[in-house]
Amino acid sequence: MDIFANLAHGFAVALSPINLLMCLIGALVGTLVGVLPGIGTIATVAMLLPITFGLPPVGALIMLAGIYYGAQYGGSTTSILVNIPGEATSVVTAIDGHQMAKQGRAGPALAIAAIGSFFAGCVATVLIAVLGAPLTKLALAFGPAEYFSLMVLGLIFAVVLAKGSVLKAIAMIVFGLLLSMVGSDIETGASRMAFNIPELADGLGFATVAMGVFGFAEIIRNLDAGAEMNRDLVQQKITGLMPTRKDLIDSTPPILRGTVLGSILGILPGGGAVIASFAAYTLEKKLAKNPSRFGRGAIEGVAAPESANNAAAQTSFIPLLTLGIPPNAVMALMVGAMTIHGIVPGPQVMQKQPDLVWGMIASMWIGNLMLIIINLPLVGIWVRLLRVPYRLMFPSIVIFCAIGIYSVNNAPVDVILAGVFGLVGYWLIKHDFEPAPLLLGMVLGPLMEENLRRALLISRGDWSVFLTRPLSAVLLAIAAFLLLLTVLPVLRAKRDEVFTESEN
Amino acid sequence: MAETMGHSATATRNTSVAIGFCLLAIAPQIFEFIWSIGTIFGWGAGRGPATVLISHATALVAGAPAALIAAAGGDTKKASSDVLLALIYSYPILAVAIVTLFMTIRSAQDYVGGVILMALALFALWASSDLQGMRGFSFGAGTAPRMFGGLLVALSAGIALTGLLTDGPGMSHYSWRGPMFVMASIVFFALAIRPLGLVVSAFVSFMIAATGSHETRWVEAAIVGACLTVGCALLFPYVLGLPMPMFPRFLNP
Repeated sequence: MDIFANLAHGFAVALSPINLLMCLIGALVGTLVGVLPGIGTIATVAMLLPITFGLPPVGALIMLAGIYYGAQYGGSTTSILVNIPGEATSVVTAIDGHQMAKQGRAGPALAIAAIGSFFAGCVATVLIAVLGAPLTKLALAFGPAEYFSLMVLGLIFAVVLAKGSVLKAIAMIVFGLLLSMVGSDIETGASRMAFNIPELADGLGFATVAMGVFGFAEIIRNLDAGAEMNRDLVQQKITGLMPTRKDLIDSTPPILRGTVLGSILGILPGGGAVIASFAAYTLEKKLAKNPSRFGRGAIEGVAAPESANNAAAQTSFIPLLTLGIPPNAVMALMVGAMTIHGIVPGPQVMQKQPDLVWGMIASMWIGNLMLIIINLPLVGIWVRLLRVPYRLMFPSIVIFCAIGIYSVNNAPVDVILAGVFGLVGYWLIKHDFEPAPLLLGMVLGPLMEENLRRALLISRGDWSVFLTRPLSAVLLAIAAFLLLLTVLPVLRAKRDEVFTESEN
Repeated sequence: MAETMGHSATATRNTSVAIGFCLLAIAPQIFEFIWSIGTIFGWGAGRGPATVLISHATALVAGAPAALIAAAGGDTKKASSDVLLALIYSYPILAVAIVTLFMTIRSAQDYVGGVILMALALFALWASSDLQGMRGFSFGAGTAPRMFGGLLVALSAGIALTGLLTDGPGMSHYSWRGPMFVMASIVFFALAIRPLGLVVSAFVSFMIAATGSHETRWVEAAIVGACLTVGCALLFPYVLGLPMPMFPRFLNP
């Protein structure tokens, strides 16, 4: 019954007026930015990170969580209404969602997306509460060797679930690890790869790199497309938000399946929400009696991926809160935010700061409820926002990002660095490298290096320690097995099939 | 006929890629030279342009081969940083550039991407070359960067090889207008925020960024820019309580 006591405590924290307000603002602002086409969840969270600095830690994290869900929901709104998925997770939603909108059923599509997300959110919230405590106990049994192996496993997961070439994904992770080593060495204090630039002595700021690679790079890339970016906005007025009885009956099983699939995939480090929505869509298509309906406005094609990505978005908090290991790039940003507020994520957080953890968990549920209440009536406003031409939107985003980065440390150098990483991100996009594994590598880098060094110090330089400790050996074996599977031709074909779904 | 034409087209393409790699190979040296020009006017610290030019030229032409021979002869005298840069970074990339001339590139996207990534990895290896290595069984400051740097060199070589061995997409088109003006706007903002304050730098940066799109209409952009500036000037310092200068320094008493 511990869980209920904890959850009740969480709701008490989350329902305080100030935290409710934070949650509301977060969800609203997140949706507002998330709706803008071409700005994904990661970019939204990175961009809005600075506005939470002035708040108390609990409020800041509740607001960030709200921003995260809001951005995700905003992404699905754009993909249904304009067929421009704001982010990777809503790519599949666009396939059937936009068809529904064209048939004049934008209302039911949006409503089902919201209902599916809400249901998935409820289940995932309970799951976090249930799994949180036992996983924390497990985490306490972990030594440095186990932590290192776990992070290797997490990074391998990121590779397996990334889109495109395996080699490129691994290279991006290693590039991220290298970037994380810029700055002072933790143990000796020696300045590494900093070229005597004082601002680099503390290392590259995580928000700086994220904003550059995801924010600025996206803007530059969208400018390339320029005039050709046709917005085939659904012009007719959206009438009748409520789905019919048949819609509800049709979409109940997909929502259930999507939730289960999403919850499982979200806990696994690496892919999280993106892969969950792809997998859920593929599953529905396989199970359907008449698969040809998919791509022509099947409501199942909206319900399943939307509930899956929301479930995954929430369960990905589990590894972060219990083990202190961010499973994807958004969670990595959350770590950044926590560190700024002086909180070290990990097993101790659950015991030392129950207010924060349980408050955040409860606020997730409240946030989802808010989204369903706020967004359905506000759809009209989001549509109007979509009519703002890109030529006015992009300079505003540039300025907003620049002010945001500057305000993190009051350092002009950070702004220039973010610009440089924007160019790097543009280059990455042009050569089909994925920036998300890079970011993950960058966040896990310091943790990995520290644990690797510690493990080897304890074992007196004996590398076999990673294989002789049973838990660590098991983790590494799973990682090796996964990597092997990915390289095998049969599975590669399967994996590519899942990802090409969006292109046809 | 058509075949020979196709062949000559790839040949010119290869030459330009190779020339690009040659430039990449001496990019850090060029960068330091451009940077050092500033020291004439008293900006920043560091070596003057003449010193930079001479030391890099000697390192590239004479110093590095001499160090190689010395190393082969068992002499472990510590080489200077410029020589190391030539040895660790420039020579391998130059070698790749020469090899490129004789190769058929089947996927320029992978090949060029792989080589540039390799250049970054080699640069990181050079940057961490002055750090302490293993001390007994404990890691020095330089061990992990060198380990991951080496790994990245191997991985990027693998990517470049894929570009030679398997067919894939060619180079995608890079545009210059968007990146240039967005970058200019960011740099202007960074340089102007301290001396000129939020109001001026935000508005000017907005207009510079707006130049990056050929669809921009000036009056409209100026109005939106002004509104955004006012909005940001209220939002960041007052609503969010983040301290930053608002107006140009010379206006303040």
